[in-house]
Amino acid sequence: MRHAITLRIGPATFRIGSAWRQPIAELGRLYATYPDMDGAIADFTVRLQPTSLARRWVRPSIFITGDHGLADAAPMSLAHGLLAAEMGMNLQMALGWRRHLLLHASSVEKDGRVLVMTGESGSGKSTLAALLGERGWRFMGDEFALLDMDSGAILPFPRLVSLKNRAIDVVTQAVGVARMGPLLAATAKGDIRHMVPRGDAVARMGEGGMPALLLFPRFGHDAAVRPVGQGEIFMRLTQASTNYVALGEPAFTALTRFVANVPARAIDFPSGDDAIAMVDRLWEQLA
Amino acid sequence: MPDLDGATAYRRDETDAVATCVLDDLVLLYHHRSGQTHMVISPVPEILARMADGAPVSAQAMHDRLARDYNLGPVDDAVAEIGAHLDALVALGLVRPA
Repeated sequence: MRHAITLRIGPATFRIGSAWRQPIAELGRLYATYPDMDGAIADFTVRLQPTSLARRWVRPSIFITGDHGLADAAPMSLAHGLLAAEMGMNLQMALGWRRHLLLHASSVEKDGRVLVMTGESGSGKSTLAALLGERGWRFMGDEFALLDMDSGAILPFPRLVSLKNRAIDVVTQAVGVARMGPLLAATAKGDIRHMVPRGDAVARMGEGGMPALLLFPRFGHDAAVRPVGQGEIFMRLTQASTNYVALGEPAFTALTRFVANVPARAIDFPSGDDAIAMVDRLWEQLA
Repeated sequence: MPDLDGATAYRRDETDAVATCVLDDLVLLYHHRSGQTHMVISPVPEILARMADGAPVSAQAMHDRLARDYNLGPVDDAVAEIGAHLDALVALGLVRPA
Protein backbone atom coordinates (compact mmCIF):
# COMPACT_ATOMS: atom_id res chain seq x y z
CA MET A 1 0.00 0.00 0.00
CA ARG A 2 1.15 3.60 -0.54
CA HIS A 3 1.51 4.48 3.13
CA ALA A 4 2.51 2.10 5.92
CA ILE A 5 3.77 1.92 9.50
CA THR A 6 4.85 -1.03 11.65
CA LEU A 7 3.97 -0.88 15.35
CA ARG A 8 4.59 -3.19 18.28
CA ILE A 9 2.07 -3.19 21.12
CA GLY A 10 2.88 -5.61 23.93
CA PRO A 11 3.81 -8.93 22.27
CA ALA A 12 2.09 -8.21 18.93
CA THR A 13 3.53 -6.48 15.87
CA PHE A 14 1.22 -4.87 13.31
CA ARG A 15 1.92 -3.54 9.85
CA ILE A 16 -0.75 -1.00 8.96
CA GLY A 17 -1.05 -0.01 5.32
CA SER A 18 -3.28 2.75 4.03
CA ALA A 19 -4.28 4.21 0.69
CA TRP A 20 -4.19 7.63 2.38
CA ARG A 21 -1.39 9.42 4.24
CA GLN A 22 -3.48 10.90 7.06
CA PRO A 23 -4.20 7.80 9.21
CA ILE A 24 -0.55 6.69 9.05
CA ALA A 25 0.69 10.19 9.95
CA GLU A 26 -1.65 10.28 12.95
CA LEU A 27 -0.50 6.84 14.10
CA GLY A 28 3.13 7.95 13.69
CA ARG A 29 2.56 10.92 15.95
CA LEU A 30 0.57 9.12 18.65
CA TYR A 31 2.79 6.00 18.71
CA ALA A 32 6.05 8.04 18.53
CA THR A 33 7.29 6.72 21.89
CA TYR A 34 6.66 3.04 21.00
CA PRO A 35 9.50 0.83 19.69
CA ASP A 36 10.63 1.59 16.15
CA MET A 37 9.74 -1.57 14.23
CA ASP A 38 10.44 -0.38 10.71
CA GLY A 39 11.22 -3.39 8.54
CA ALA A 40 10.22 -5.96 11.20
CA ILE A 41 8.15 -9.00 10.31
CA ALA A 42 4.67 -8.33 11.63
CA ASP A 43 2.26 -10.77 13.28
CA PHE A 44 -0.65 -9.07 11.54
CA THR A 45 -1.35 -6.84 8.59
CA VAL A 46 -4.11 -4.20 8.66
CA ARG A 47 -5.22 -2.55 5.44
CA LEU A 48 -7.23 0.64 5.13
CA GLN A 49 -8.40 0.64 1.56
CA PRO A 50 -10.99 2.55 -0.46
CA THR A 51 -14.41 0.89 -0.69
CA SER A 52 -14.12 1.50 -4.46
CA LEU A 53 -11.57 3.12 -6.75
CA ALA A 54 -13.42 6.44 -6.82
CA ARG A 55 -13.78 6.48 -3.03
CA ARG A 56 -10.06 7.08 -2.69
CA TRP A 57 -10.64 10.70 -3.72
CA VAL A 58 -14.37 11.48 -3.71
CA ARG A 59 -15.87 11.43 -0.18
CA PRO A 60 -13.07 9.03 0.83
CA SER A 61 -14.52 5.91 2.40
CA ILE A 62 -12.37 3.36 4.28
CA PHE A 63 -12.88 -0.39 4.27
CA ILE A 64 -10.96 -2.06 7.12
CA THR A 65 -9.41 -5.42 6.33
CA GLY A 66 -6.17 -7.35 6.77
CA ASP A 67 -5.13 -10.90 7.62
CA HIS A 68 -8.50 -11.22 9.32
CA GLY A 69 -11.49 -9.21 8.20
CA LEU A 70 -15.23 -8.97 8.50
CA ALA A 71 -16.99 -9.10 5.16
CA ASP A 72 -19.83 -6.86 6.32
CA ALA A 73 -17.75 -4.25 8.21
CA ALA A 74 -19.32 -0.82 7.73
CA PRO A 75 -17.13 1.61 5.77
CA MET A 76 -15.79 4.64 7.67
CA SER A 77 -15.03 8.19 6.61
CA LEU A 78 -11.40 9.24 6.15
CA ALA A 79 -11.88 11.75 8.98
CA HIS A 80 -12.15 8.70 11.26
CA GLY A 81 -9.06 7.04 9.75
CA LEU A 82 -7.25 6.78 13.09
CA LEU A 83 -10.22 4.96 14.58
CA ALA A 84 -10.31 2.66 11.54
CA ALA A 85 -6.64 1.76 12.11
CA GLU A 86 -7.24 1.07 15.81
CA MET A 87 -10.31 -1.03 15.01
CA GLY A 88 -8.29 -2.90 12.41
CA MET A 89 -5.60 -3.78 14.99
CA ASN A 90 -8.23 -4.86 17.52
CA LEU A 91 -9.88 -7.01 14.87
CA GLN A 92 -6.62 -8.83 14.11
CA MET A 93 -6.06 -9.52 17.81
CA ALA A 94 -9.64 -10.61 18.44
CA LEU A 95 -9.76 -12.98 15.47
CA GLY A 96 -6.15 -14.09 15.13
CA TRP A 97 -4.20 -14.05 18.39
CA ARG A 98 -3.48 -17.50 19.83
CA ARG A 99 -0.50 -17.07 22.15
CA HIS A 100 -2.58 -15.91 25.11
CA LEU A 101 -6.16 -16.11 26.29
CA LEU A 102 -7.65 -12.74 25.33
CA LEU A 103 -9.92 -11.09 27.85
CA HIS A 104 -11.90 -8.04 26.79
CA ALA A 105 -10.74 -6.10 29.83
CA SER A 106 -8.60 -3.19 30.95
CA SER A 107 -5.74 -3.72 33.37
CA VAL A 108 -3.36 -1.76 35.60
CA GLU A 109 -0.47 -2.90 37.79
CA LYS A 110 0.91 -1.94 41.17
CA ASP A 111 3.74 -3.66 43.08
CA GLY A 112 3.90 -6.42 40.48
CA ARG A 113 0.24 -7.36 40.89
CA VAL A 114 -2.53 -6.68 38.41
CA LEU A 115 -6.06 -5.28 38.67
CA VAL A 116 -8.26 -6.52 35.81
CA MET A 117 -11.50 -4.70 34.92
CA THR A 118 -14.00 -6.15 32.48
CA GLY A 119 -17.31 -4.88 31.16
CA GLU A 120 -19.25 -3.88 28.11
CA SER A 121 -18.44 -0.80 26.08
CA GLY A 122 -19.54 2.18 28.21
CA SER A 123 -18.92 0.42 31.53
CA GLY A 124 -16.09 2.83 32.32
CA LYS A 125 -13.27 0.27 32.24
CA SER A 126 -11.13 2.29 29.78
CA THR A 127 -11.64 5.58 31.61
CA LEU A 128 -10.88 3.97 34.95
CA ALA A 129 -7.67 2.37 33.65
CA ALA A 130 -6.62 5.68 32.09
CA LEU A 131 -7.23 7.61 35.34
CA LEU A 132 -5.55 4.96 37.53
CA GLY A 133 -2.58 5.11 35.15
CA GLU A 134 -2.13 8.75 36.20
CA ARG A 135 -2.40 7.98 39.92
CA GLY A 136 0.38 5.63 40.83
CA TRP A 137 -0.65 2.58 38.83
CA ARG A 138 1.03 1.35 35.66
CA PHE A 139 -1.45 1.31 32.77
CA MET A 140 -1.35 -2.09 31.00
CA GLY A 141 -4.24 -1.88 28.55
CA ASP A 142 -7.77 -0.62 28.02
CA GLU A 143 -9.10 -3.23 25.58
CA PHE A 144 -7.38 -6.62 25.90
CA ALA A 145 -5.77 -8.26 28.92
CA LEU A 146 -3.60 -11.18 27.77
CA LEU A 147 -3.73 -14.17 30.13
CA ASP A 148 -0.61 -16.35 29.86
CA MET A 149 -1.94 -19.90 29.97
CA ASP A 150 1.26 -21.38 31.46
CA SER A 151 2.07 -18.93 34.24
CA GLY A 152 -1.37 -17.41 34.89
CA ALA A 153 0.15 -13.91 34.53
CA ILE A 154 -1.59 -11.00 32.81
CA LEU A 155 0.51 -9.39 30.07
CA PRO A 156 0.09 -5.81 28.85
CA PHE A 157 -1.38 -4.66 25.55
CA PRO A 158 -1.03 -0.89 26.04
CA ARG A 159 -2.41 0.52 22.81
CA LEU A 160 -3.84 4.04 22.72
CA VAL A 161 -6.72 4.42 25.16
CA SER A 162 -10.01 4.88 23.32
CA LEU A 163 -12.19 7.37 25.22
CA LYS A 164 -15.80 8.08 24.40
CA ASN A 165 -18.16 11.00 24.92
CA ARG A 166 -18.13 12.31 28.53
CA ALA A 167 -14.90 10.47 29.39
CA ILE A 168 -12.98 12.62 26.89
CA ASP A 169 -13.13 15.82 28.97
CA VAL A 170 -12.49 14.01 32.26
CA VAL A 171 -9.32 12.35 30.96
CA THR A 172 -8.10 15.37 28.94
CA GLN A 173 -8.20 17.43 32.15
CA ALA A 174 -6.19 14.74 33.95
CA VAL A 175 -3.45 14.18 31.34
CA GLY A 176 -3.26 17.40 29.30
CA VAL A 177 -4.06 17.95 25.66
CA ALA A 178 -0.54 17.08 24.43
CA ARG A 179 -1.22 13.37 25.06
CA MET A 180 -4.58 13.40 23.28
CA GLY A 181 -5.25 12.51 19.65
CA PRO A 182 -7.64 14.36 17.35
CA LEU A 183 -11.32 14.51 18.33
CA LEU A 184 -13.21 12.07 16.12
CA ALA A 185 -16.73 13.48 16.22
CA ALA A 186 -19.95 11.53 15.59
CA THR A 187 -18.52 8.06 14.96
CA ALA A 188 -20.81 5.03 15.22
CA LYS A 189 -19.93 4.95 18.95
CA GLY A 190 -20.30 8.70 19.49
CA ASP A 191 -17.37 11.10 19.91
CA ILE A 192 -14.02 9.33 20.34
CA ARG A 193 -10.61 10.66 21.30
CA HIS A 194 -7.47 8.60 21.87
CA MET A 195 -5.02 9.09 24.73
CA VAL A 196 -1.32 8.20 24.64
CA PRO A 197 -0.37 6.09 27.70
CA ARG A 198 2.40 7.34 29.99
CA GLY A 199 6.00 6.56 29.14
CA ASP A 200 6.31 3.86 31.83
CA ALA A 201 3.37 1.94 30.33
CA VAL A 202 5.17 1.82 26.98
CA ALA A 203 8.66 1.19 28.36
CA ARG A 204 7.43 -1.78 30.44
CA MET A 205 4.96 -3.23 27.92
CA GLY A 206 6.79 -6.57 27.91
CA GLU A 207 6.38 -6.98 31.65
CA GLY A 208 3.36 -8.82 33.08
CA GLY A 209 2.16 -9.52 36.60
CA MET A 210 -0.05 -11.93 38.50
CA PRO A 211 -3.74 -10.98 38.68
CA ALA A 212 -4.76 -9.95 42.21
CA LEU A 213 -8.25 -8.45 41.80
CA LEU A 214 -11.01 -8.62 39.18
CA LEU A 215 -13.63 -5.86 39.01
CA PHE A 216 -16.80 -5.55 36.95
CA PRO A 217 -17.21 -1.76 36.81
CA ARG A 218 -20.47 -0.05 35.85
CA PHE A 219 -20.52 3.70 35.35
CA GLY A 220 -23.57 5.88 35.93
CA HIS A 221 -25.13 4.31 39.03
CA ASP A 222 -25.07 5.03 42.76
CA ALA A 223 -21.96 3.70 44.45
CA ALA A 224 -22.32 0.01 45.34
CA VAL A 225 -20.10 -3.04 45.74
CA ARG A 226 -21.49 -6.54 45.15
CA PRO A 227 -19.94 -10.00 45.34
CA VAL A 228 -20.09 -12.06 42.13
CA GLY A 229 -20.43 -15.86 42.14
CA GLN A 230 -17.66 -17.88 40.51
CA GLY A 231 -20.03 -19.39 37.96
CA GLU A 232 -21.13 -15.95 36.82
CA ILE A 233 -17.52 -14.78 36.70
CA PHE A 234 -16.54 -17.73 34.52
CA MET A 235 -19.48 -17.16 32.19
CA ARG A 236 -18.82 -13.42 31.85
CA LEU A 237 -15.11 -13.99 31.19
CA THR A 238 -15.77 -16.58 28.48
CA GLN A 239 -18.21 -14.12 26.91
CA ALA A 240 -15.49 -11.46 27.18
CA SER A 241 -12.93 -13.65 25.40
CA THR A 242 -12.75 -13.90 21.62
CA ASN A 243 -10.39 -16.90 21.57
CA TYR A 244 -11.49 -19.05 24.53
CA VAL A 245 -13.10 -21.67 22.29
CA ALA A 246 -10.24 -21.69 19.78
CA LEU A 247 -7.60 -22.32 22.46
CA GLY A 248 -9.29 -25.45 23.83
CA GLU A 249 -8.37 -27.14 27.10
CA PRO A 250 -5.39 -24.91 28.02
CA ALA A 251 -7.84 -21.98 28.05
CA PHE A 252 -10.28 -23.94 30.23
CA THR A 253 -7.51 -24.75 32.69
CA ALA A 254 -6.12 -21.21 32.76
CA LEU A 255 -9.50 -19.53 33.10
CA THR A 256 -10.77 -21.83 35.85
CA ARG A 257 -7.53 -21.21 37.74
CA PHE A 258 -8.02 -17.46 37.30
CA VAL A 259 -11.62 -17.64 38.56
CA ALA A 260 -10.73 -19.82 41.53
CA ASN A 261 -7.74 -17.70 42.64
CA VAL A 262 -8.61 -14.07 41.92
CA PRO A 263 -11.07 -12.25 44.23
CA ALA A 264 -13.80 -10.40 42.33
CA ARG A 265 -16.41 -7.70 42.91
CA ALA A 266 -18.91 -5.76 40.81
CA ILE A 267 -18.74 -2.02 41.44
CA ASP A 268 -21.22 0.71 40.47
CA PHE A 269 -20.03 4.29 40.53
CA PRO A 270 -21.39 7.74 39.67
CA SER A 271 -18.02 9.40 38.85
CA GLY A 272 -14.35 8.70 38.24
CA ASP A 273 -13.34 10.02 41.67
CA ASP A 274 -15.84 7.71 43.39
CA ALA A 275 -14.55 4.77 41.37
CA ILE A 276 -10.92 5.44 42.25
CA ALA A 277 -11.74 5.63 45.96
CA MET A 278 -13.62 2.29 45.69
CA VAL A 279 -10.76 0.67 43.79
CA ASP A 280 -8.20 1.81 46.36
CA ARG A 281 -10.34 0.47 49.21
CA LEU A 282 -11.01 -2.90 47.54
CA TRP A 283 -7.35 -3.27 46.57
CA GLU A 284 -6.40 -2.67 50.21
CA GLN A 285 -8.95 -5.23 51.46
CA LEU A 286 -8.75 -8.00 48.87
CA ALA A 287 -5.61 -7.90 46.75
CA MET B 1 -26.73 -56.70 32.28
CA PRO B 2 -29.44 -57.79 34.72
CA ASP B 3 -30.68 -54.31 35.66
CA LEU B 4 -31.65 -53.15 32.18
CA ASP B 5 -34.99 -54.92 31.71
CA GLY B 6 -35.15 -53.90 28.06
CA ALA B 7 -35.36 -50.19 29.03
CA THR B 8 -33.28 -47.55 27.27
CA ALA B 9 -29.72 -47.85 28.48
CA TYR B 10 -26.94 -45.29 28.55
CA ARG B 11 -23.20 -45.46 28.95
CA ARG B 12 -20.09 -43.31 28.91
CA ASP B 13 -17.20 -44.23 26.69
CA GLU B 14 -13.56 -43.42 27.44
CA THR B 15 -13.73 -40.92 24.58
CA ASP B 16 -16.55 -39.07 26.36
CA ALA B 17 -14.14 -38.03 29.15
CA VAL B 18 -14.41 -34.54 30.58
CA ALA B 19 -12.15 -32.33 32.69
CA THR B 20 -14.05 -31.13 35.73
CA CYS B 21 -13.76 -27.95 37.77
CA VAL B 22 -15.98 -27.24 40.77
CA LEU B 23 -16.73 -23.54 41.22
CA ASP B 24 -18.67 -22.36 44.24
CA ASP B 25 -22.15 -22.66 42.74
CA LEU B 26 -21.74 -25.04 39.80
CA VAL B 27 -19.55 -27.57 38.03
CA LEU B 28 -17.71 -26.92 34.77
CA LEU B 29 -17.10 -29.79 32.37
CA TYR B 30 -14.60 -29.45 29.55
CA HIS B 31 -15.46 -32.08 26.92
CA HIS B 32 -12.21 -33.11 25.21
CA ARG B 33 -13.85 -34.57 22.13
CA SER B 34 -15.96 -31.54 21.18
CA GLY B 35 -13.91 -28.80 22.84
CA GLN B 36 -17.11 -27.55 24.45
CA THR B 37 -17.38 -26.28 28.02
CA HIS B 38 -20.59 -27.18 29.86
CA MET B 39 -21.85 -25.57 33.07
CA VAL B 40 -23.93 -28.02 35.10
CA ILE B 41 -25.50 -28.32 38.53
CA SER B 42 -26.85 -31.27 40.54
CA PRO B 43 -27.83 -33.93 39.73
CA VAL B 44 -25.75 -33.96 36.52
CA PRO B 45 -22.30 -34.30 38.16
CA GLU B 46 -23.65 -37.05 40.44
CA ILE B 47 -25.13 -38.94 37.47
CA LEU B 48 -21.92 -38.72 35.46
CA ALA B 49 -19.84 -39.84 38.43
CA ARG B 50 -21.97 -42.99 38.68
CA MET B 51 -21.32 -43.85 35.04
CA ALA B 52 -17.54 -43.70 35.34
CA ASP B 53 -17.20 -47.49 35.01
CA GLY B 54 -18.47 -47.36 31.42
CA ALA B 55 -21.13 -50.04 32.01
CA PRO B 56 -24.61 -49.56 30.48
CA VAL B 57 -27.21 -48.25 32.90
CA SER B 58 -30.95 -47.53 32.65
CA ALA B 59 -32.74 -44.60 34.27
CA GLN B 60 -34.16 -47.01 36.83
CA ALA B 61 -30.72 -48.45 37.64
CA MET B 62 -29.26 -44.93 37.91
CA HIS B 63 -32.08 -44.08 40.31
CA ASP B 64 -31.15 -47.06 42.46
CA ARG B 65 -27.49 -46.04 42.50
CA LEU B 66 -28.31 -42.43 43.44
CA ALA B 67 -30.86 -43.55 46.05
CA ARG B 68 -28.06 -45.14 48.07
CA ASP B 69 -26.74 -41.66 48.81
CA TYR B 70 -29.71 -39.32 48.36
CA ASN B 71 -33.38 -39.12 49.25
CA LEU B 72 -34.97 -38.83 45.81
CA GLY B 73 -38.68 -38.75 46.74
CA PRO B 74 -41.35 -40.70 44.82
CA VAL B 75 -39.68 -43.32 42.62
CA ASP B 76 -41.66 -42.78 39.40
CA ASP B 77 -41.08 -39.02 39.35
CA ALA B 78 -37.38 -39.41 40.14
CA VAL B 79 -36.86 -42.07 37.44
CA ALA B 80 -38.59 -39.88 34.85
CA GLU B 81 -36.45 -36.90 35.80
CA ILE B 82 -33.25 -38.94 35.69
CA GLY B 83 -34.27 -40.27 32.27
CA ALA B 84 -34.77 -36.72 31.02
CA HIS B 85 -31.32 -35.75 32.30
CA LEU B 86 -29.75 -38.78 30.59
CA ASP B 87 -31.47 -37.91 27.30
CA ALA B 88 -30.20 -34.32 27.62
CA LEU B 89 -26.67 -35.63 28.21
CA VAL B 90 -26.96 -37.77 25.08
CA ALA B 91 -27.99 -34.67 23.12
CA LEU B 92 -24.89 -32.85 24.44
CA GLY B 93 -22.63 -35.75 23.45
CA LEU B 94 -21.49 -36.43 27.03
CA VAL B 95 -23.30 -39.79 27.25
CA ARG B 96 -24.26 -42.22 24.51
CA PRO B 97 -27.03 -44.78 24.11
CA ALA B 98 -25.73 -48.19 25.19
